[in-house]
Order: sequence, then structure tokens, then C-alpha cells
Amino acid sequence: MRKLTLVTRRRFGQGLGASLALASAPGASPAHDGSHVVEVRISRFAFVPKRIEIAAGDTVLWINDDLAPHTATARDGAWQTATLEHGSSARVIFDAPGDMDYVCAFHPHMTGTVSVRSKPAG
Amino acid sequence: MKTMTLALALAATTVGLSAKADQPMNDLEIAHTAYTAGSLDIRYAHLALAVSENDAVREFARTMIRDHTAVNDAAGALIAELNVTPQDNDFSRALVEGAAAKRAELVALTGADFDCAYATNELGYHQIVNKTVAETFIPAVTVAPLKTLLEDALVTFRAHEAHAERMVEGLQCAS
Repeated sequence: MRKLTLVTRRRFGQGLGASLALASAPGASPAHDGSHVVEVRISRFAFVPKRIEIAAGDTVLWINDDLAPHTATARDGAWQTATLEHGSSARVIFDAPGDMDYVCAFHPHMTGTVSVRSKPAG
Repeated sequence: MKTMTLALALAATTVGLSAKADQPMNDLEIAHTAYTAGSLDIRYAHLALAVSENDAVREFARTMIRDHTAVNDAAGALIAELNVTPQDNDFSRALVEGAAAKRAELVALTGADFDCAYATNELGYHQIVNKTVAETFIPAVTVAPLKTLLEDALVTFRAHEAHAERMVEGLQCAS
């Protein structure tokens, strides 16, 4: 089962770095050793990059650059971010391997994939 | 009187109005008209939510309310930041009058007739507004933040136009 954590925050200070933000954001789970934060921008009604590969335990951070609100919502309904207003961000931690296809709940033509690899043993 | 370019003339025609201008619009007038166009589409959407029982139409209407509200909120914030007041103008007034006439048409319809009329109007409305914003408003605007806002808004409006196309196709209104 994948664990997910949602955090939204305004654009201000986002340049501090996702890992620092993850560690200090209210409600966020601390990342385990060796985990990473991978950023996906939401720009011009598209997820950029459209497909990302991460390791189990990594965090995906979505940042909405559009004026219109968006979400990142799993096609199978297993997880979703909060509504992301302009300049806001949200994060999800993926613990289970697999390909996770997702859409924007408000604009379903916007699609993306998070491909989660098993974390190397040791 | 303000200049009515081809795009504006088309827009006026689409909403049932006549061209009546011969001077370029200034930044404050453009801001007013862009805001007005968004507000009018929100009103169309509220009507659709009140009348339609079609899931695709209702989803589209909710998206229009959500997105146009966000764009207009951003416009409001910029207006406050710049400490200016948008200027009402002939084109804004024409849009308002045309939309009132269109709403009067729509409110008399129900079921699939309403859905098709609403969807078709949304497609035409966004086509004309997008053409006007892209070819008339953005090139004419002189204040950089307003130009940027219009460019960002146009991305949203073009997504709406594509969404409206899909909605019209899905409703199979022509058959």
C-alpha cells in the first residue's frame, strides 16, 4: 500500500528546495534515508514532465504554474492531491512499486504517469 | 467610439451585436472587457448547472466557474496592485447585452435542446474570445503585467475551447 502525504503551500519560498520543505512542512512525513523529491510542474495544462521514474519511498512534488486550479489524481482513485491553486504545491510519497497513471480531476485530458521502482535492497 | 477589428466584429456578431467603434481600446478598457467576458461565462455556467442534467455539460460548467473565477481573481489582484480602475466601454457593454439575449434564449430551453445550445454557444464564445485576446488584446496592451496575465489566461481559455469542442462532439448535436 502506498503512503501518501499532502502538503500545499504558496509559491513563496519554494526555491528553498523540496527536501528542506518536506522536512519542515506541517503534516509531512520525514523522508527516509536515500529518498528523493521529484518535481513535476503543472504548466499550460500539462504535467511536465509527463512521465517520471522514482524509487519506492520517493516523493513527488506537483507545483501549479497555471492560473487555473488543478489536481493530480490517480486514475484508480487510490490517491489525489488537494486542489492546487496558482502557485500552490502538493506532495505524495509513493511506497508501492508500479506505474501510477494520473489525471487532473478538473481537466481530465491532462495525464501523467509516476513509475515507481522497487527500492534496491540494502 | 472604439475600433472594431475583424475579431471584435466577429465577436459582436456572434453575440448578436453590431459593430460601433473606431478607436483602439486602451489597457484599462481591455482589462474591463476581458474581466467581463469571464464573468459572463460564469453566468452561463450557473445557468447550465441550474438547467442541465447532462454530466458532461455540468462538468464543463463547473470547470468554467472554477477556472474563470481563478483568472478573474488574478485580474482583480493585479488591478489592486496597479491601483487602477478598469474602464467600461462599448465592447464590454456589447458583450453584456449580447449575453443577456443569449441567456434569454437558453433559459427557454430544456433537456438536449438546452445542452446543445449551451455547448455550441460555449464553443463559439471561446473561439471568438480567444481570437480577440490573441490577435487584438495581447498585441495592444502596453502594461507588461497585464500582457502576461492575458497570455496566461489565454492558455486557460484555449483549454476551454478544446473542452467545448469535445463536449459538442459528445453531445452529437448535429445528428
